[in-house]
Amino acid sequence: MTREEVAARVINVTAREFGMKPSEIKESDQFTTDLGADSLKSIELVAAYEEEFGISVKEEEALKVQTVGGAIDFFFHLLK
Amino acid sequence: MRTYELQDVSTPNLIEEIFPYSLPPLIKFEGKIHELIDGKVVEFDPNEVKTRDIHITDTTFRDGQQARPPYKKEHMVKLYEMLSKLGGPNGVIRQSEFFLYTKNDRETIDACRALNLRYPEITGWIRANKGDFRLVKEMGLKETGMLTSSSDYHIFYKQNQTRKEAMQQYLEVVEAAFEAGVRPRCHLEDITRADLAGFVFPFVQQLERLSEQVPENMKVKIRLCDTMGFGLAYPNVAEPRSIPKLIWRLRHECGIPPERLEWHGHNDFHKVHINAASSWIYGLNALNGTLFGFGERTGNPPIEGAIIEYVSLKGDLNGVNLAMMTEMAEYYEKVIGTQLPANYPFVGKDFNTTRAGIHAGGLRKFEQIYNIFDTTKLLNRPPRVAITDKSGTDGVALWVNEFLGLKGDDRLSVMKVAKIQRWVMDQYEKEGRMSSITDQELEEQVKIHLPEYYNKYRKN
Repeated sequence: MTREEVAARVINVTAREFGMKPSEIKESDQFTTDLGADSLKSIELVAAYEEEFGISVKEEEALKVQTVGGAIDFFFHLLK
Repeated sequence: MRTYELQDVSTPNLIEEIFPYSLPPLIKFEGKIHELIDGKVVEFDPNEVKTRDIHITDTTFRDGQQARPPYKKEHMVKLYEMLSKLGGPNGVIRQSEFFLYTKNDRETIDACRALNLRYPEITGWIRANKGDFRLVKEMGLKETGMLTSSSDYHIFYKQNQTRKEAMQQYLEVVEAAFEAGVRPRCHLEDITRADLAGFVFPFVQQLERLSEQVPENMKVKIRLCDTMGFGLAYPNVAEPRSIPKLIWRLRHECGIPPERLEWHGHNDFHKVHINAASSWIYGLNALNGTLFGFGERTGNPPIEGAIIEYVSLKGDLNGVNLAMMTEMAEYYEKVIGTQLPANYPFVGKDFNTTRAGIHAGGLRKFEQIYNIFDTTKLLNRPPRVAITDKSGTDGVALWVNEFLGLKGDDRLSVMKVAKIQRWVMDQYEKEGRMSSITDQELEEQVKIHLPEYYNKYRKN
């Protein structure tokens, strides 16, 4: 899977979780400050990414990711 | 001023020589305790408890029963059997005392004796009345406690006697006990409010003179009854409230060895356990208590506290079965119908239950952070989390993993339980809920959101 394919799916999932359009999501967006995620929302987001890609991730590592771009890179490397 | 430099270690110092986790935390002493008595410094060696035969005696069916509706005979027999298992084969719970006055009292003793258990030994309790010895003799008991009140509050205002009359009566009953071949145990009621030099010590010395005529295993035992909870364990407290001075004088001035001294406390000032435990430290062997501290008014030293203290002081279980405490608490709740407070140490429903999310997080990462010792192994009580809006996703993960029995790498992550946590938060934020989420509700959520795990680990 290319980075672009991963990015499209991460952005789609992120938009769905925050009730936004994909076009409104930027890679530089911070989950907490720009998108307004609290701790539970952050966990739900990781759970949604897991479901999207059909994998389980280590929670300590996944929850360290701060931005949409960071999430794309995280899953791109995991799926390589 | 001493300067302390930060020691930035690469591995954590868990101080396991004191907190072994496989046992309750150990109590270690680094030197002697000093007490000022008659202007002179006397020493107590607290490390003596490691070698002295300290033990617990039980008064659940006597003092413990005075404070609550009577137990049924079958309750007492079952509790007696459980006490035996709790104290183990080495007699850490050495004796249990029973009333002798009613037919039910006597039938209960017979039923307990029919179990043929070595410990706890069954002893009696009577008033200091020669006539009552008939009951002791009829029951064939080897030892009985007898009420020998020692303060002027009791002697003058309850018994309407002079000190001389009271002492004479007590001594006559002790002599009667010797004649009957029964070991007397004098319960010096209200001793922490008594004129020690003017009554207690002369009386005890008279008892010792009488004891000279009997073999060692018949000599009078002395129970120090802190009837109103006035006793104090602090060093250098004035008499008669000082526990160290009282024990020291009885041992060194009256010649009573530790194996014939016993502490019986009450909790009127929230000091019941520490006073009892301190009496072990200050040099007597027997700590008298009741299951769950039930006893007159505010209660007696709780046996559960005493037995944990015993292990902490000895650094060894010595045959005790601490998990019986859990079974006994369940028996009180389910059979006797007595609910213990949820926050009651070692046995209450919530004694090792955490509610704060940050604590649940710590517990999930490393159990020892928020659990006092290995309560799963020793008490059959794994640490738990109660789910509220404060317990967080960590709390839900901890609950679900415990519920499913998952350990190590099999444990579910917070992501797997996120939907359950969302349901929990909605209960409070959208439904305005004020109470904790129940186990039954959480089980339903596990069925809904984690059906594959529920079916694998819980179904059937």
